[in-house]
Amino acid sequence: MDLSSIKQPVLDGDAQATVAAATEAVAAGVSPSAILTEALIPAMEEVGNLFACGEYFVPELLMAARAMSAAVEVLRPSLVTSGYEAAGTVVIGTVQGDLHDIGKRLVAMMLEGSGFDVVDLGTDVAPEQFIAAARDSGAAIIALSALLSTTLPAMQSTVEALRAAALGDTVRVIVGGAPVTDEFARRIGADGYAPDAPGAAALARRLVRVGGEAAVN
Amino acid sequence: MTGKERILTALALRQPDRVPLYIHGINEAPIIGIGRHLTDGLPEPKLFHEMDPAEKMKLLDTLFLLHEEFGVDGFTSFEIGHEVEVDAEHVKDDWGILYTRSHHGLPVAKGHPVTNAADLEAYRPPEPSRSHLLLLDMGRERFAGAKALFWLMRGTFVRSWRLIGMENYMINLRADPVFLHRVAQMVENYNLQQLELLAEAGLDVLVVEDDIAGTDHPLIAPRHFAEFVEPYNRSLVERAHALGLKVVRHSDGNLWSLMDTLLASGYDGLNPLEPQADMGLEKVKDSVGDKICLLGNIDCRDLLPDGTPEQVDEAVRQAIGDAAGGGGYILCDSNSLHPGVNPENCIAMFEATRKYGVYDAA
Ligand code: B12
Repeated sequence: MDLSSIKQPVLDGDAQATVAAATEAVAAGVSPSAILTEALIPAMEEVGNLFACGEYFVPELLMAARAMSAAVEVLRPSLVTSGYEAAGTVVIGTVQGDLHDIGKRLVAMMLEGSGFDVVDLGTDVAPEQFIAAARDSGAAIIALSALLSTTLPAMQSTVEALRAAALGDTVRVIVGGAPVTDEFARRIGADGYAPDAPGAAALARRLVRVGGEAAVN
Repeated sequence: MTGKERILTALALRQPDRVPLYIHGINEAPIIGIGRHLTDGLPEPKLFHEMDPAEKMKLLDTLFLLHEEFGVDGFTSFEIGHEVEVDAEHVKDDWGILYTRSHHGLPVAKGHPVTNAADLEAYRPPEPSRSHLLLLDMGRERFAGAKALFWLMRGTFVRSWRLIGMENYMINLRADPVFLHRVAQMVENYNLQQLELLAEAGLDVLVVEDDIAGTDHPLIAPRHFAEFVEPYNRSLVERAHALGLKVVRHSDGNLWSLMDTLLASGYDGLNPLEPQADMGLEKVKDSVGDKICLLGNIDCRDLLPDGTPEQVDEAVRQAIGDAAGGGGYILCDSNSLHPGVNPENCIAMFEATRKYGVYDAA
């Protein structure tokens, strides 16, 4: 079966058509994990590229992410029985004092779109909340967003608190947001930085694939 | 020239006696930090609502004073008295929108009273109230014509997303465009009514404050912007011009893909020209400087918080060199004097504007 019939409705942000195409593919005998890894995830990757080059904007990315998750919901039962495992769990939030939401939401959507389970803690998230959520969810990655120069110190203290909480050697911390730079990420001891949402997804995939090698170079 | 003449001349794309200086927005902490150089008895930095009545009066007086002492040519006012406290961390405005307070800046809309067309049917927007223009009245009385009076009016996009939620707004670009247009019309009506009150109260410059872009791109597609946002802002421009006011458009971020639509609205000025968002003055002046006055660009993201006064001095010199030639430039920071800026750097910005901004000497 031609999996592009599933990709296109994701690109169009059409949830109904995506669900219909995925359902049809299952009925035609395509494995749910193939639908996910060969159609839905690549479609979101393409959406990410279109966003990065300024052809898609926040709404288009949002609609595509919703289309994909609607299809994933339909596939979930069979994904679970077939033993498919998500790429891992990411706990994400905007750091304490910072109320900017949009960029962090996009990152969360792109992470979901590339096969992660995502726990979005919202904005103004205290270090303890990150720690508790990471423990509860067994997170592989903790993602911190900050948009203000004045909340960069909160990002730093959150990274320190996460380190002190000894969540396990494999848990990785990634950071981003307009004033954050690669250099700053390195300085505060984060494991990775990306400038945008598609980059965040690629970074997270790289981090879980390499089994947690630090990706700040 | 008076500050007011200076600002109005620059907005008319002509050359004043010197480069006008403007503060688009300023939070409590920098008012206090800068004010300490001018007056005693200021409280420790805290939010306005945490101050007692005497501290509030002192803060307002300091705000006026710093405009006088540092030769800031325009004074920005905005609505007050339209919010009620819900609890220590939240306020609600007269639209029913719930805001979370923050020590890092202005309260942020987090609770949205309208979700869909059915909600909107039952919803009654507030009426603009003359009593909410108190800050404008105070500025007018204090400065007595010496400074241009600006007003921050939230535009169509910001008021719409505050009312219905950002993601909900974005989803409805496709799901229910009629709903978005009706919300926009409601906002436009409110803004137009408020504009009449403002003109009667002696306003000089309307600022349509409607952030629509991030560092790399607009938040929504240019075609959506042209359909759902800008036509409703444009009618404010037209009415304001008919009332004899100047109009400045404020939006953060990278505006290049929206520029034609923005210019078509007929604004007199564009603010805040964020350097990190590819809105460098040389490029902006070169491409649109003959059509619209430029206000802004002194970096409040890295420079004003973390730079040195010498670096600020140099940035001001550079900005004036890049944009002030022939007029049409008003010096201002790249968003606001927010709680993270260093007061010494703000003062360096004010002083450097005086130092480098004289046209005759240039
Ligand atoms: C929209 C906006 C707001 C809205 C937010 C609404 C909401 N629901 O989120 C409101 C009005 C509430 C707001 C408030 C303020 N804001 Co504001 N805001 C913006 C604006 C215009 C756009 C931000 C945005 O949404 N961009 C779009 C998204 C898609 O981009 P993004 O957030 O950068 O995220 C991308 C990347 O950074 C990255 N990323 C983000 N997070 C993460 C996380 C990880 C792990 C990774 C890997 C990547 C990553 O991926 C994202 C997608 O590609 C910016 C301007 C700008 N240039 O960004 C100012 C801006 C961020 N704000 C600014 C300021 C000053 C403020 C205020 C302090 C204003 C004031 N004086 O009161 C307040 C603070 C409120 C608070 N306590 O947080 C300044 C910050 C300067 C600084 N560095 O300190 C900016 C840069 C404006 C400017 N011209 O200087 N703001």
